[in-house]
Amino acid sequence: MTSNADDDGSSRYVSTGPFVWVATLAVTTLLLVLLKQALWLVVPFLVAVVVYYALFPPVHRLMLAGVPRSTAASLVAGAFVVVAVLALVPAVSWTAAHAVSGQEAFYRYLDAGRVLIDKTLAMLEARFGFLERMHFHEQVGRRMAEFGETNLQKQLTAALLGAAAWLPSLLLAPFFAFFFLRDGQRFLKFLGAAVPNAYFERTLYMLERFDTTARAYFHGLLKLTAIDTVCMSVGLWVIGVPGAAVLGLATAVLSWVPVVGPIVGGILVILVTATDFPDQPQLVYAAIALLAAMRLLDDFVFLPLTVGRSLRMHPLPTVLLIFVGGAVAGVPGLILALPLAGLVMVIAGTIGGVLDDPRLRARHAFAKRLRAERITADLGAND
Amino acid sequence: MVALFHNAGEAPRLRIVRQLPLFATLSRRELRVVDSLLHERRYLKGEIVFDAGEHGQALYVIVAGRVLICRQGEPDTGRIAELEAGVVFGELALLDNAPRAAQARAAEDCVLASLSRADFESLLDTHAIAASKIALQLARQLGRQLREQNAARPEG
Repeated sequence: MTSNADDDGSSRYVSTGPFVWVATLAVTTLLLVLLKQALWLVVPFLVAVVVYYALFPPVHRLMLAGVPRSTAASLVAGAFVVVAVLALVPAVSWTAAHAVSGQEAFYRYLDAGRVLIDKTLAMLEARFGFLERMHFHEQVGRRMAEFGETNLQKQLTAALLGAAAWLPSLLLAPFFAFFFLRDGQRFLKFLGAAVPNAYFERTLYMLERFDTTARAYFHGLLKLTAIDTVCMSVGLWVIGVPGAAVLGLATAVLSWVPVVGPIVGGILVILVTATDFPDQPQLVYAAIALLAAMRLLDDFVFLPLTVGRSLRMHPLPTVLLIFVGGAVAGVPGLILALPLAGLVMVIAGTIGGVLDDPRLRARHAFAKRLRAERITADLGAND
Repeated sequence: MVALFHNAGEAPRLRIVRQLPLFATLSRRELRVVDSLLHERRYLKGEIVFDAGEHGQALYVIVAGRVLICRQGEPDTGRIAELEAGVVFGELALLDNAPRAAQARAAEDCVLASLSRADFESLLDTHAIAASKIALQLARQLGRQLREQNAARPEG
């Protein structure tokens, strides 16, 4: 479905009034609360949607070459699974072999981060007398030590256990993606068949907008990840940070989580730089400057050009939704809030459009009456 | 839900679709692709398919029954045409994105096959030959209608 439905004037069938905004916010919040209870299913489903939109272009090409949809879906999904297994097997064996050294490296990076903060605080105290009089360095150091002993260990353990619980359910993702690719069209027909005649064309319009919005969002997300990876990798490579490509990819993927993701990605880059160059704080500051520049580029250039275009939402409700998502469903809520709101808005807009159209509702009522008359036509015969 | 995964009995339906002039030139494989995109709709006599002025999202092919094309709200005095099985209507909305020019309502109980604009455009991308065959059939029907209108117009 490649057409842009808004170009033909049909967009007037979609209501965008206060009812739609309030309904979008309320339904999105409710869905986030419900989805939080079934994250084990939501996460693989979301990954499957990303995989579906990533794999759809090759399926499309095969269909263009005359291959039937089901065969094309099977071929592409099969190739994806083979590539994923080929990539995962060495990754898992490498991780298992380096688990102990990985743990050591983790503490080494944390230690380097602590040293960097110590040096920076000492430098600030030396430069600004009032900080020294406040014992700023000592106080921050004590708070950090307390935080490290209590919160960090607890939260790290909880996060690792949570990730371990989700991992098996992620195996569902390719399974879901295959059925999306193979039966997506059939599902849309099935959905269309359930709609009364009066609302049929509106439903077609809604399904098209739904697909266009979701496709644009996930394609935008993949494009944004590619752009962020390239820019960050090149920047880190210029600074001289080792493993620039891996770090660039990690920060780009972490950026999928609004607010929290870029912070975690930034900390990762700073820790690696501080560990590898303990005596060159200027490189760490360069990395921080690069992260800040990337953040500005992302927020004002890349994001509006990729993901932002797909949702066409005003910045105010966008920010509000991100915070509501984080408040009701934590990190998954931060990730899901915007795409979910985009899709809910399509449905709420279409329903609002139907409610605003008395003619359409009258047609539906007329059709129902015709059916009722037909069904009961012979019942009065014996009176 | 069973209907979603139900494939058996597709052949008789394909035979019906093949008999429709719009799809008569399609190969068996193309027909199967097009059939997967068609929505089957059933209307009772008098039920409205679409109103004049609506932005159409689909064209319709009459599989069974008859459809009346008339001026908006004037089924008796504003009759434009009564279409029979096999005829396509609502295709202009698909071709030029214009609002529906007239009202369509079921003249008797009828079964319609509907092809959405999005699916037709998708077909142009994925199965260009099949889409061009359908477009050619549409152009032929439009030409025929134009000739009939010209012939019906009074001389002078």
